[in-house]
Amino acid sequence: MFSLNPQTRRMLRRFRAIRRGYVSFLILSALLIVSLIGELLVGSRAIIVSYQGQWHFPTYTAFHPGTDFGLDYSFETNYRELRDVFRAANEGDWVLMPPVPYNPFESHASGDVYKPEPPSLASRHYLGTDTTSRDILARLFYGTRIALFFSLAFMASVYLIGIAVGCAMGYFGGVFDLLFQRFIEIWSNVPFLYMVIIVFSVIPSTFSVPVRIFVLLAVMVLFSWTSMTYYMRTETYKEKAKDYTAAARVIGASTGRIIFRHILPNAISTLVTFMPFTVVAAIAAITALDFLGFGLPPPTPSLGELLRQGTATLRTAPWIVGAAFGTLVLLLTLVAFIGEAIRESFDPKKFTVYQ
Amino acid sequence: MNVETPEPAGPLLEVADLSMHFPVREGVLRRARRFNRAVDGVSFAIASGETLGLVGESGCGKSTLGRCVARLHAPTDGSINFQGEEITRLRGGRLRPLRRHIQMVFQDPMESLNARHNVGDILREPLVVQRVGDRASRELRVRELLDIVGLPARSAQRYPFEFSGGQRQRIGIARAIALKPRLVICDEPVSALDVSIQSQILNLLNDLQREFRLSYLFIAHDLAVVKHTSDRIAVMYLGKIVETGDGESIYRAPRHPYTKSLISAIPVPDPHQRARREVLWGDVPSPIDPPSGCAFHPRCPMATARCRVETPALRAVRSAPQRVACHLVD
Repeated sequence: MFSLNPQTRRMLRRFRAIRRGYVSFLILSALLIVSLIGELLVGSRAIIVSYQGQWHFPTYTAFHPGTDFGLDYSFETNYRELRDVFRAANEGDWVLMPPVPYNPFESHASGDVYKPEPPSLASRHYLGTDTTSRDILARLFYGTRIALFFSLAFMASVYLIGIAVGCAMGYFGGVFDLLFQRFIEIWSNVPFLYMVIIVFSVIPSTFSVPVRIFVLLAVMVLFSWTSMTYYMRTETYKEKAKDYTAAARVIGASTGRIIFRHILPNAISTLVTFMPFTVVAAIAAITALDFLGFGLPPPTPSLGELLRQGTATLRTAPWIVGAAFGTLVLLLTLVAFIGEAIRESFDPKKFTVYQ
Repeated sequence: MNVETPEPAGPLLEVADLSMHFPVREGVLRRARRFNRAVDGVSFAIASGETLGLVGESGCGKSTLGRCVARLHAPTDGSINFQGEEITRLRGGRLRPLRRHIQMVFQDPMESLNARHNVGDILREPLVVQRVGDRASRELRVRELLDIVGLPARSAQRYPFEFSGGQRQRIGIARAIALKPRLVICDEPVSALDVSIQSQILNLLNDLQREFRLSYLFIAHDLAVVKHTSDRIAVMYLGKIVETGDGESIYRAPRHPYTKSLISAIPVPDPHQRARREVLWGDVPSPIDPPSGCAFHPRCPMATARCRVETPALRAVRSAPQRVACHLVD
């Protein structure tokens, strides 16, 4: 059913031949898949609890109060303590914890003092803790996951709106095109950062975190879709003027058929090359916003928030900024390599060397 | 003869006083103050099974005329009558039944075939759009069409860029005849091809005409090509037909000064015959501000004062069987 156009196949072949981009693509895809089951790798809930001969898998189930496992409290079980209790009792019960047995929200202050701890294998804080004694690796892991999915959602929305509007402008032209162009010119001159600040000062903090993340996404998309329409509009104009569109009209194809079967597939191909760069821009933007304190609402783990902490405690706790910076560099490099490879495999002049 | 549909009494296609004026939008308000008179009051008819050749320099409006008849444009004025039905003002879905009967072959076969679809998709599309047959019968029809235009059946899985120019034009022709049309508008179908390929395509078009009793509106700027294919010829200059008649008489004795110079420009394959060429100077004037009177007068070697003022009508002349739009021909 899914037979690819030979041109597309050739591009995919070329993309695979560009090792650096292809390997980056594989790494990033693996990272995305792994992050989907991230709770099994990083988290405070045990993967498996064997208690009185019965196995429990608390990762994705409803929470187990401590009494379920013979403890004397009815709030959620602390599985790290449970493991120690089981070990001390030595009755054949055991707990299998994730490799990083911390979630990104809990504090692990020794005593009552919040202070960043340096990386340590013994305490299983492999990258240390941050200024409120939360595990940095856990925060990085979930911060990266949120940043990746946030920027993918951002890219998808921006492309959807940009392609729809741009294509409509290019296809219908005339007054519609004229009005929309003027509107876009005005709209794209609204300063985005101020809009984010204003919107965030207006929405009450009683809104739940997912809702506020969605609002942030909506605001960012609302002020970013315009640039996509420029490309799409000209591409559509170009494709519409070609004779295959006229041929489709002569056989009586409907407007919808002409747009979706003829113009869009031809016009979109150039936009594909922009996609990774849109993701890079989105990751950078969300990190910058977090750094300024206008991004993802706390206590959501985020790279920008870690960077802010890290720069504030650069001398006393350099591991914070190091970890956040390293992750950001790695992430952006991967996506940029993919983008470069895609651009190169779409390049009609195959052997062009840019110097 | 086609037995199922009785021949209509009149011509297959009758075009009367057809005009296509494109607005030239200028200034801040994009008002259309001036118009590009690409086609300006053209009348002609095509009988069933006949080929009308339309010649003229580039920019004279011949392609626009063809696209008006195919209803890719909505003409500003005049009427197009096809099989006794007025089709000038049909729009949207009401145009779709007509599309079965009027098809088009385009100049550049690379551009007129969607590079993302394989040949099977391209040939199937007219049948799908017009809801002809079911899946199985469409497959058969695609094979049949490929056979008719002389391409192997396995071409259906191939993509346009895998073919040569001539083969691509064969695909374009197959698409045009897929719906068994009555009239095919050939918009410079061979001018993008090598000369050696041109004759193959022209012969194919001739064979198809005989086999399926097609009518052609054959648009070209190459007079030799038109001579080879056309029963009657219309010469266009700046949006108007300046001379029309049967091919033989126009080639033997052109009457309009413009036609004369066109005919004299055909190379003669005989090194001993002295060419007496009537060379035209200058370019075609802009159809946005056409010259007053006879549009040809600025380039005409015989222009008089009357030509500058009065627009000549296309009329029968005594000295020749064709119809000519010139004051000086009688």
